Amino acid sequence: MGCGRVGAALASMLDQDGHDVTVLDTRAEAFRRLPPEFSGKRHVGNGIDQDILARIGVGQADAFVAVTQGDNRNVMATQMAKHLFGVSRALCRIYDPIREEIYRGLGLETISPTLVGARLLKETLDRQPAPAGQES
Amino acid sequence: MPVDGSQASLDALALSCSLARKTKNTIYAVYVIEVARTMPLDAEMTAEAERGEQVLSRAERIAESLDYEVSGELLQARDIGDAIVDEAVERGVSTIVLGVGHQETLAEFELGETAQYVLKNAPCQVMLLRSAIEE
Amino acid sequence: MYAIVVGGGKVGYYLARELIQGNNEVLVIEKDGAKCERIAQDLGDVVLKGDGCEAATMEVAGFGRADMVIAVTGDDEDNLVSCQVAKVKFAVPRTIARINNPKNEAIFRKLGIDTTVSATAAILSQIEQELPEHPLMRLLTFKGGGLEIVEVKVPPASAVVGRRIRDVLLPQQSIIVLLVGQDGTPRVPTSDTTIQAEDEVLAVTPTENEETLRNILTSPPGGSEPGSSDPGYGRPGPAGPYEPYR
Repeated sequence: MGCGRVGAALASMLDQDGHDVTVLDTRAEAFRRLPPEFSGKRHVGNGIDQDILARIGVGQADAFVAVTQGDNRNVMATQMAKHLFGVSRALCRIYDPIREEIYRGLGLETISPTLVGARLLKETLDRQPAPAGQES
Repeated sequence: MPVDGSQASLDALALSCSLARKTKNTIYAVYVIEVARTMPLDAEMTAEAERGEQVLSRAERIAESLDYEVSGELLQARDIGDAIVDEAVERGVSTIVLGVGHQETLAEFELGETAQYVLKNAPCQVMLLRSAIEE
Repeated sequence: MYAIVVGGGKVGYYLARELIQGNNEVLVIEKDGAKCERIAQDLGDVVLKGDGCEAATMEVAGFGRADMVIAVTGDDEDNLVSCQVAKVKFAVPRTIARINNPKNEAIFRKLGIDTTVSATAAILSQIEQELPEHPLMRLLTFKGGGLEIVEVKVPPASAVVGRRIRDVLLPQQSIIVLLVGQDGTPRVPTSDTTIQAEDEVLAVTPTENEETLRNILTSPPGGSEPGSSDPGYGRPGPAGPYEPYR
């Protein structure tokens, strides 16, 4: 759910690995981010509408990932996938670290790009700098 | 006449006293305790109230030294600017005298939120006294 | 009661106004600066500009001591998250969410939101029930006649507790039609019926005497509140609330 840069890249990776992938976005233009060879399904619709989730077959999915720009939309859709449709793996991007912690506590698999990004930057800083001329 | 204990506010108080001496107007010195929303508005704020009382008695002493009398008032409110304007309206005052400080820093000078709010919302006349720049 | 309203649109605004009139401490959280200013102008310093789903804002707003959170933005996902975070992180005893898409009721309930409502009126009736005492509730207004049926809860300190209906000076054209005791037993009153503490009094009254009636039934002995010296006052009780009106 959410065909932004992250959503499109993830869908494409899963597709290449041979999974059956469906992408959902509220705007059809978003699908231009998918590579031409993408073989999965594309649906236009709102992911926090349970009728739409039912129609695109969330009930049969093994995993659901919400990566729209809205933390709250992601949280709501993921909870619907988990609690209404019984999807066993429900992943959710939440920018706000505090909200992320709360929803992890409530049993969602959550990722906060804010925290992950900051942590990566710090780890890179902590590492010894590469000798001149060898940076990648 | 809001006082927060800063030099600027006490200077402004002295100014009001010398101005009011001629006109025989009453001066209210108001100290506002800002209460965070995490607490009820009528929460007991002992430390802050003590400080407020100290500031008010300093204000009274300054007024006395200028041969004038002020009546002090301690308020609790969510927002200082809002409380000052409300109090001014309630007492029907003719003028609010505000003192603002100015520290020389690298940042650009900006009028504080409270002063901005009072200038924008007070129905009465507002006098602003900016202190000399602190080095 | 401290009630936090998330969302300062029309619903939030009117809701806040009602709650303030009911003597509750109220805070509205709204993202939009212009809406905040309008609310502050009309209702006073009861608004905080910010995102009512963001834990940092919620902390500052005092969610930790809120008795009730009512999320009434136009977006169901925001209302859901406000209420969930209020419950999980701040242990708010009661959360109410406005639902814009009625299909969402099931998921909201499943996720632990105490109450969901889809219209302003329904939100208000929920809150009235939550309040420890609701001084006067308008049950029905008759068109044209200016009459209405109201419900008033008699507080234990009220001057009318222990008095017979015939001894209570009701405003003109106001009659008590039913008393409901604390245990829920209704009593059809006669002029000899005694009013008890915590009784729910159902009365018919002209709209303009509503305030007076409320004062009489709720004020403690030794004078009613200021402002109750309504001209509608003044018929002695024994003439009876049951005398037919002409």
